Amino acid sequence: MKLAMNMLRDYVNIPVTPKEYEERMIMTGTAVEEVVALGGEIDRVVVGRVLACEDVEGTHLHQCTVDAGEGEPLHIVCGAPNVHAGALVPVALDGASLPGGVKIKKGKLRGMVSEGMLCSATELRVPNELYPNVGEEGLLIFREDYPAGSDVKPILGLDDYAVDFDILANRPDCLCALGVARETAAALGTVFRAPEVTVREAGGDIHSEVSIRVEDSDLCPRYAARVIKNVRIGPSPMWLRKYLHGAGLRSINNMVDITNFVMIEYGHPMHAFDLGKVRGRQIIVRRAREGESLTTLDGGLRNLRTSDLVICDEESATGLAGIMGGEESEITDKTAEVMFECASFDRTAVRLTSRALGMRTESGGRFERGVGPATVLEALERACMLVNQLDAGDVVTGLIDLYPAPRAPQVVTASVARIAERAGVAIPAQAMADILTRLSYQVTLDGDRLTATVPPFRSDVDGEADLCEDVLRIYGFDHIGCTRLRGETTQGGVTPMLRLKDRVAHILHGLGYLEVMNYSFQSVREIEKLGLPEGDPRLTPMPIRNPLGEDTSVMRPTLAPDMLKTLAFNMNHGTPAASLYEAAAVFDHHSPTAEGLPLETQTLCLGSYGEGADFYAVRGAVEAILHAQGIRCEVEAGGEAYHHPGRCARLTADGVLYARLGEVHPAVREAFDLPRRAVIAEIDLQAVLAHTVPMGELKPLPRFPSVARDLALVMDEAQAVGPLMAAMRRAGGNLLETIELFDVYRGAQVGQGKKSAAFSLIFRAGDRTLTEQEVAKAMDKVQRSCAQQFGAIIR
Amino acid sequence: MSVMDTLLEIKQKASEELAALDGTAALEALRVRVLGKKGELTALLKGLGQLSPEERPAAGAQINDARAWLQARMDESLARLQAAEREAALQSETIDVTEPRPLPRVGAAHPITLVMNELIDCFTGMGFEVMEGPEVELDHYNFELMNIPKNHPARDAQDTFYMDDNVVLRTHTSPMQARAMLSRKPPIRIICPGRVYRADEVDATHSPVFHQMEGLVVDEHVTMADLRGTLSAFARKMYGEDVSIRFRPSFFPFTEPSAEVDLTCSACHGKGCRICKETGWIEVLGSGMVNPKVLEMCGIDSTRYSGFAFGIGMERLAMRRFGIRDMRLLYEGDARLLGQLR
Repeated sequence: MKLAMNMLRDYVNIPVTPKEYEERMIMTGTAVEEVVALGGEIDRVVVGRVLACEDVEGTHLHQCTVDAGEGEPLHIVCGAPNVHAGALVPVALDGASLPGGVKIKKGKLRGMVSEGMLCSATELRVPNELYPNVGEEGLLIFREDYPAGSDVKPILGLDDYAVDFDILANRPDCLCALGVARETAAALGTVFRAPEVTVREAGGDIHSEVSIRVEDSDLCPRYAARVIKNVRIGPSPMWLRKYLHGAGLRSINNMVDITNFVMIEYGHPMHAFDLGKVRGRQIIVRRAREGESLTTLDGGLRNLRTSDLVICDEESATGLAGIMGGEESEITDKTAEVMFECASFDRTAVRLTSRALGMRTESGGRFERGVGPATVLEALERACMLVNQLDAGDVVTGLIDLYPAPRAPQVVTASVARIAERAGVAIPAQAMADILTRLSYQVTLDGDRLTATVPPFRSDVDGEADLCEDVLRIYGFDHIGCTRLRGETTQGGVTPMLRLKDRVAHILHGLGYLEVMNYSFQSVREIEKLGLPEGDPRLTPMPIRNPLGEDTSVMRPTLAPDMLKTLAFNMNHGTPAASLYEAAAVFDHHSPTAEGLPLETQTLCLGSYGEGADFYAVRGAVEAILHAQGIRCEVEAGGEAYHHPGRCARLTADGVLYARLGEVHPAVREAFDLPRRAVIAEIDLQAVLAHTVPMGELKPLPRFPSVARDLALVMDEAQAVGPLMAAMRRAGGNLLETIELFDVYRGAQVGQGKKSAAFSLIFRAGDRTLTEQEVAKAMDKVQRSCAQQFGAIIR
Repeated sequence: MSVMDTLLEIKQKASEELAALDGTAALEALRVRVLGKKGELTALLKGLGQLSPEERPAAGAQINDARAWLQARMDESLARLQAAEREAALQSETIDVTEPRPLPRVGAAHPITLVMNELIDCFTGMGFEVMEGPEVELDHYNFELMNIPKNHPARDAQDTFYMDDNVVLRTHTSPMQARAMLSRKPPIRIICPGRVYRADEVDATHSPVFHQMEGLVVDEHVTMADLRGTLSAFARKMYGEDVSIRFRPSFFPFTEPSAEVDLTCSACHGKGCRICKETGWIEVLGSGMVNPKVLEMCGIDSTRYSGFAFGIGMERLAMRRFGIRDMRLLYEGDARLLGQLR
């Protein structure tokens, strides 16, 4: 919210620089976005009177003699068509600055000396609303009389600062000059002066001009009105234009400007009806009827719901209460009589109607944030006082004020000691009372008990904590000390899941994996690209009711699509090889928690491509992670629909599925635009955490020698080595310490459709040196088991 | 020839040969010839029998002296030759250490994780315990217990994603305050890092998914000065001893009083620059004393206990720390960017 600083000065002294003012306001809770000097760059531009003006032959130029208040008249060459002797114009003197960094220097034009420049409104960037109708192509010619040599900035309203305030959501009372002025007085320790409002009535009786009925006072606790006759629409005076300009508003005409001014001064949006067009000279405030519609001021036809509050005349709804007036009763140049409406509407009702109709207006925005009933009359009377002052019409005697349930002043009590304790600083009771008084509370102190009557414009105060906040922010948060936490010592630490993620991260970093993060959103279309079988629950993920778009419309049930997209991104951006991981929740609403929330499973997804990134490398990374948690898995062939059917596996142990991995299926690669092969893995971190085996004691080092034996077996090509090795382990019994595959050979020597696998077996007993016979017996069992179960025979 | 003369001759010849040796193999041959079991000195010893018994002891002693002398010379030579041979071998194995080879790829955590871990370290060191909770959250925890009732305008401000009337994507990590207070007894000192969601369109400074870290302390006699002390300690730990911190009055429905916390801009050290929009300050977090209404709604006696809470946005910290100007880069997964992290 912007306000002209000079407007604020009407209500409060500001004996500090704009910079200090900004700082002080920020630190007491009224944020300032910026302070802009309206005439910032203009310097040494004064009022001058053209004493003589002669055409320069053969050109469009004029040679002028100008009294700029500096002794000898100046000689200035000017090209403007409207320059003439006697005109009062702005003169940029030698050394002057103009907006846009323009500097004016004494010089020669076509051989004629020119000791400055006569300026146009455009050159000075005088806003049209400040000085309307000054003409765009010619010189700015002052209509009023000013002494030559006067600074033009105050005349043009450019000597002021516009302050842009950022008012907190709980302080709608500060969305106006008076509110900010009150805060200013409290912040600076100066005095707040409310405007003295008196209205000169011109006779007649409002009750014979209009009748008003509020049917739904729950949504309209107060409705007040005044009538103005003999309306004289015209331009507003300079001071009013300046203030509106400082607030970022355009000057329209005196009547509209008055309502806008009251809005920026009191924070009350007002509405002016052309009373002549209000049918039956009757106003009814009620909820809309079933099927009712109306055309608003902006020309839109609005279909209403029965919860929308409307302003009606005798025949139908003509305006949306607090949001926008109707087209029919709009003020025009021909308006002769006006009814001012100043009311308080329920903020929630206004908000719901605004949202339902998609209408955002200044007035609606203010009512949504809260415009209380307490100050309705003051604002209405202020508008009428301005009508008097601007001579914009005659105020009919009497006013209508429908306020069936006046709000009693709110009284809050607090304990001085508790406020001080909460702050951690011993602020004396009297100091608290003084601060609250500066903030317009009426305060009484009785020992520890502080009783405060809340000012009527405050809607945010209902307890001790609010008083505490008001006291402390004016006292200054930065005057409160810094202390350490006291009391019982607490054990800090991270959750087991975070510790697991940290550990996994360390392993993966060592293996060259980079962490990535993706949105938790997904689209069904992307998930469908995985080619999952019909009925897979991942195809019906949890939908978001109001998503940003189809791309982000469901909570992701798997990390795979995002990983595939990220791999594709990197492949297509020229990165030759990359290994990536993401650790995040996947969501499953098909199995809700006790609270009815979707199951969130922390999942780790790996993706890898480029040199060395084959199935085995990724499986190694997965196994390294599982081993680090003490989990030894069986590898079994098979995986997901989006895996290469011959290159995918599941890692399980004791019936628990820990990981699924595989090379990406070529069809899925095509769907996700992966030009190269890649491997992805998904690991259930929740399962890993649940089955982590704590570190125990270490195995003692062996005391007896081992015996090594090699074994080469020929078997069918299709025979998986994993189950074979498992069988060898079982057959080898306790004496078989380790078994390793060290070579796989395919070729003529073993024959078509066969392969030879070579294993190295280490035997050892913990309590003795093994004998040759013992080893031979064990080897024999191993060989027999291979031959019998798998048809694998010694090469 | 006397034994004496023969010895002299052997010694002299051996000395000459030793001096001329070109390797340990030749030395070994010499040793065998002179000192070996069938060598020259052994032969001489065997010849002692031909001498008279009076001459034998002296001649024997002379032979032994000569053996010792020759052995010593040969040991010297061996050491010298071995050193030379090792030197030559090393010389031949010299490699070009400046020749480039591909680096082993070492991975790294995401910028958000790096910043989050720093914050976690900082607060766990002060006795805070990490607590995690659901991202899809009940409206009840996300809003109502945070003193944001239905139809409160603050709900619009937070641009909430709804799953249904009662379930939302949490708009902040603050619902964890409620979960902590309802499940624990004071003293409570927790931090809750995690993902949060707001229906903001994606641009350089907005993301519909981002990360926050909530902090909550509830105990007897917790004061605003404690809040200031705790957050000042955090600021110094993260940004160094000379960082300035200011508490700006603000508004959050769940804290009262509320303060936004600014730190001196690290780019200009408070002088004012483009990054801090000429203010000299960077806003880092929101904080305040837990609103007594929130304490009561969460079953904590607000006359006995008080507390403070804070919420830190992770993205902004990470972007500042790593000089990332566009938030979208954090969610793009570009290895060329992430590969620079360590």
